[in-house]
Amino acid sequence: MTEFKKIEENLKTEATRLLKEGLVTVVLAYGKGFDENHPMPYAAKTIADVENIVFNEYCNYNMARYLVRYPQGTKIAIAVKAADSRAVIQLIQEEKVKRENLVILGIPVQGMKNPKTGEIIDSKTTCGMYNPVLYDLLLGEEVHGAKSASPYDVLAEYEKMDKEARWEFWKKEFDKCIRCYACRKACPMCYCDPCFIDQSKPKWADKAPQSPGNMMYHLTRFHHLAGRCIDCGECSRACPVDIPLYLFHKKVAKECEEMFNQAAGMSIEDKPVLVDFRVEDSDKILE
Amino acid sequence: MLKKTAIEKISQLAAVLMEKGTLLAPVKEVSGHNFAEINDPQKVDLSFYNTIMSPKGAFFPHKEDFVKYKIGKPLSEAEPAVLNLKPAFLFGVRPCDVKSFEIMDIHFDAAGIIDPYWRFRREATTIFGYAYDLNQPVDSADFYNTLGIYAADPEGSDIFMVKKDKELLLKAITKKGENLLSELAVLKDGSAADEKYFTEYVNKGKEYKTRFMTLDQEAIAKKLEDIFDNTDFWTKMSAACLSCGICTFVCPTCYCFDICDDTLFGKGTRRRVWDACMFTDFTLEASGHNPRTQVYQRLRQKISHKYSYHIRKYGVISCVGCGRCTRYCPVNIDIYSIVEAALKA
Repeated sequence: MTEFKKIEENLKTEATRLLKEGLVTVVLAYGKGFDENHPMPYAAKTIADVENIVFNEYCNYNMARYLVRYPQGTKIAIAVKAADSRAVIQLIQEEKVKRENLVILGIPVQGMKNPKTGEIIDSKTTCGMYNPVLYDLLLGEEVHGAKSASPYDVLAEYEKMDKEARWEFWKKEFDKCIRCYACRKACPMCYCDPCFIDQSKPKWADKAPQSPGNMMYHLTRFHHLAGRCIDCGECSRACPVDIPLYLFHKKVAKECEEMFNQAAGMSIEDKPVLVDFRVEDSDKILE
Repeated sequence: MLKKTAIEKISQLAAVLMEKGTLLAPVKEVSGHNFAEINDPQKVDLSFYNTIMSPKGAFFPHKEDFVKYKIGKPLSEAEPAVLNLKPAFLFGVRPCDVKSFEIMDIHFDAAGIIDPYWRFRREATTIFGYAYDLNQPVDSADFYNTLGIYAADPEGSDIFMVKKDKELLLKAITKKGENLLSELAVLKDGSAADEKYFTEYVNKGKEYKTRFMTLDQEAIAKKLEDIFDNTDFWTKMSAACLSCGICTFVCPTCYCFDICDDTLFGKGTRRRVWDACMFTDFTLEASGHNPRTQVYQRLRQKISHKYSYHIRKYGVISCVGCGRCTRYCPVNIDIYSIVEAALKA
């Protein structure tokens, strides 16, 4: 694998070139934080901004989250790791961004770490892929030979639970929720404006951090992401009370894949499974 | 008055306090420590750096039910919530968090309408401050030194506790603290050597350095007024901000709330729930107009409120430098760096 430092250099070189040649107006990458272990999502708009770009094992942010902040038509360069590239693809499928307005800077990488726990981020909480699916430029050598476990292996314990046990499990997890909404804000696919939970007419759920409001918020969000979640794990990492949101998303992703033979964000030719209809589609959903 | 106990016997002290009233103390949860009402004295755990949520919830809970009612029924049938009237003990509060109560008193117990819920709980509660462990490294997010607070400041606590090897020294700071300490037979008397250790520890706390910058209140208040319209600056500062509510919820001095009516099948509850200026709907007006639709406007509001408007109105910065907002921000937005950058802007 290409070293982090080398990837950072490549990122700076390409960002400088793209901004200099006027090919993009903003480069979405990672920037210096208050110390080395705390880099931040970063938007470089001028060549002078480029010197603040960094890349290290804590740059786990999915920058696709910021794409929808810019008006349609803005020329954007975006640094993506494997899962992030899938988010970009999914956003293209959903017509939130156009392929021709993007310069995708792919970063093949393994060994990213969760800054809160120091743990390596792997297939347990993400899709576990190392190489970007879609890119214009690759900023390092593709990772080969490092076979990742299936992103669904982590579901083994969860799937042993019956319906009642799962219900109890989620009830307990959602009781922890403080309704800060960091999960939806960190999610590249949560771009609804307004989000249903912010609506007051009708008001879908009480504001207090308790069920049934907590349940209403999370279960609705889970289902809004069915067939769309690309398993980057940002929601779970953003959660200040460590609710294992990835479990539900993975479970639904697995079922979608089995039913429709398509994983989210793998090809810009695909349509989101719940938007598309094919005669050969599984009828399992109706059973 | 100085008393002491072995840290491993802390559950005995907890049990005595539970007999006297409600005990709120740090307990270990999956993701870290938090203050909780103690039902089992064994659960009290002092092996924490600082809690995830600030202790403000002890006086200003995340959700507070005011009254239960039935639609169409007379007011006399409504049932106001009953306050817990027992004395309370807030155990193990870090000095920066103790300082936050004084700032919060301005809003709930001094300016304008007195909040009976806050005031009652404050009066009923004895605060056991707890010095940071000076042998542990300081968290890189903390900056309470900048706000003139030190790691072992007893000020504001009723009883202040410092760790001495495997013992906990408890010193009465206020009359309230002294009265309580004298009643706690479970504690042993401290020796002259313990007194000396306590005093030295408090002084040594001044050398336990967090991030620091010289901050002139007048200068920062003015500067933030001056750069209010500097959209470039605020857009840059907020480029990463997700506009979630973590920073305000974990903050010991954020006090915004919403009064909500939760009504279902004719039965309702009116309650107060924490709100956050980082939420889009925070400023949504009934007309549909929203003066703060952009992330940069909301972040600017948060910083300016704490470091400018609050100084202008109440003469004090509404921040104690506990570092929580930085520590728990999913994208590492750092209020200290923003204030630093603002001064240079």
